[in-house]
Amino acid sequence: MNKWKTKKTVVNQPSKRPTLAGEGFLGRTRYYFNRALNNIRQNVFVNVVTIGTIALALLIVSLFLLVFVNMESAAENWSERVQVTVYFDHELSTQEQAAFRGKIGALPGVSQISYVSRDEALKRFKNRLRGQETLLEGVQPEILPTSLEITLKRSSRDTLSVEQFVTALKRMPGITEVQYGEEWVRRFNLFLNFMRLVGALLGAFLLVAVIFIVSNTIKLTIYARRDELEVMSLVGATKFFIKAPYLVEGIIQGGAGAVIAIALLFGLYELFLYNADSFLTFNPVTSGLLFLPVEYIGALLLAGVVLGFVGSLTSLKRFITI
Amino acid sequence: MIQLHNVSLAYQKDATALNSITLRISKGEFVFLTGASGAGKTTLLRLLYGALAPSSGQVLIDGQNVSRMTSSQIPLLRRSIGVVFQDFKLLPNRTVFENVAITLEVLGWGRADIGKKVLHILKQMGIESKINLTPQRLSGGEQQRVALARALVNDPKILLADEPTGNLDDANKNQILSIFKDANVRGTTVVVATHDRRLIENSHKRLVTLSKGDIVEQVENQENGCKPA
Repeated sequence: MNKWKTKKTVVNQPSKRPTLAGEGFLGRTRYYFNRALNNIRQNVFVNVVTIGTIALALLIVSLFLLVFVNMESAAENWSERVQVTVYFDHELSTQEQAAFRGKIGALPGVSQISYVSRDEALKRFKNRLRGQETLLEGVQPEILPTSLEITLKRSSRDTLSVEQFVTALKRMPGITEVQYGEEWVRRFNLFLNFMRLVGALLGAFLLVAVIFIVSNTIKLTIYARRDELEVMSLVGATKFFIKAPYLVEGIIQGGAGAVIAIALLFGLYELFLYNADSFLTFNPVTSGLLFLPVEYIGALLLAGVVLGFVGSLTSLKRFITI
Repeated sequence: MIQLHNVSLAYQKDATALNSITLRISKGEFVFLTGASGAGKTTLLRLLYGALAPSSGQVLIDGQNVSRMTSSQIPLLRRSIGVVFQDFKLLPNRTVFENVAITLEVLGWGRADIGKKVLHILKQMGIESKINLTPQRLSGGEQQRVALARALVNDPKILLADEPTGNLDDANKNQILSIFKDANVRGTTVVVATHDRRLIENSHKRLVTLSKGDIVEQVENQENGCKPA
């Protein structure tokens, strides 16, 4: 009851109050924005420090992401080699091929099936022995087996799925010999899982460190200007009125930091990584590294803005005491 | 205008800053609060602008109970109270104009109106030529006049001053005192906390003396002759 009563009290406003040109949603927004820009202009050093910290922190994160994205794409390429081959001792007729394709295609996880005829097999053999073709003189295609090469879908390339698939294949009538390099598949998948775990751990540590550093930097810069907060509250500013310009400032700092980080990353990429030597290259197919995809760049920008905003918000809470 | 009823305040359990103080200051009055350091002058002022809440008792400003205000009502209260301090509390990286304009920006005034009003008050204070300087380039007296301009620019009902002349020489003290008197003549209730006896003696105004959190002496309006209460 009492609380309700006190809320109804309206404190008298000073009498001489001219038309409120600065009021209204747009007017207020413009005021907060101008105030934020003025604050940046009047506190250049503080802002350079904050933007610099955010930029460096995000640059580290984005370099990590660049490595991660490239590792993933390399893994994608390597895993193309997870292939199951079914050998036959005779040339398959078109009907036989179609029948096998139908049956195998019905198994879960199959992405692509291709038939390797005897001639094709010999051609590949010759390719592998390039420079020593004389070794193959007199070799007839008939001594080579024909085969069906089965590529699996990405989700079915782990050790267990491959083994299940092969068991199902072996149960099919007419199929006798199946090869899939089990040891290689096992090791590759172990390696992949290990890399992902290390990546996730590193990424998590990095993220925590970045949040900690950025939020403390913002806290210090707001601490350095706590007199401003005090004066604002002395002249009767509401909490929101005091906070808003700082929040806008935080968003600008975060956005600017992210843009600088992305620009630096792109510069580094263009200078050094685009044509990286093979020792830096994870991908066996292409040379050099890929740049971050657009979604990642968008996410980095957003992360900067959110960091700036949330960092300012939590710091302000500590220093505004009305 | 200002009423305190049995106001006590303890910062810690056994250390009381104010002991059951009752004080009434009428509209348009000019009051000096005096007493040694630690007597409770600053605490009393802080109660008036809502920076502190009393441990017990009531603080009424213009009929409204400050001690029961929510944190969203305090800013509205402060818009009708101007406050100045010994250390001026000016923002070092803003110009004189911007320092004074803050008060009106908070009230939502438009830019053109702010410009006119700020120029007007700075002329009254005699520092209009310093409008684009930052406070560091001003003398102590000039800085205090900027602080006063900030406090008075929206014609507040009450002006509170905490040792306003503590850092100033005699000439500047008199100038500041005359600004207080001018504001008082225009209807603002003025409360000045100071231990500067000369300032008090020269002005012949009501005097409230605090000691260790108690009101020990009240001298009514000295202009009409001294009347110990």
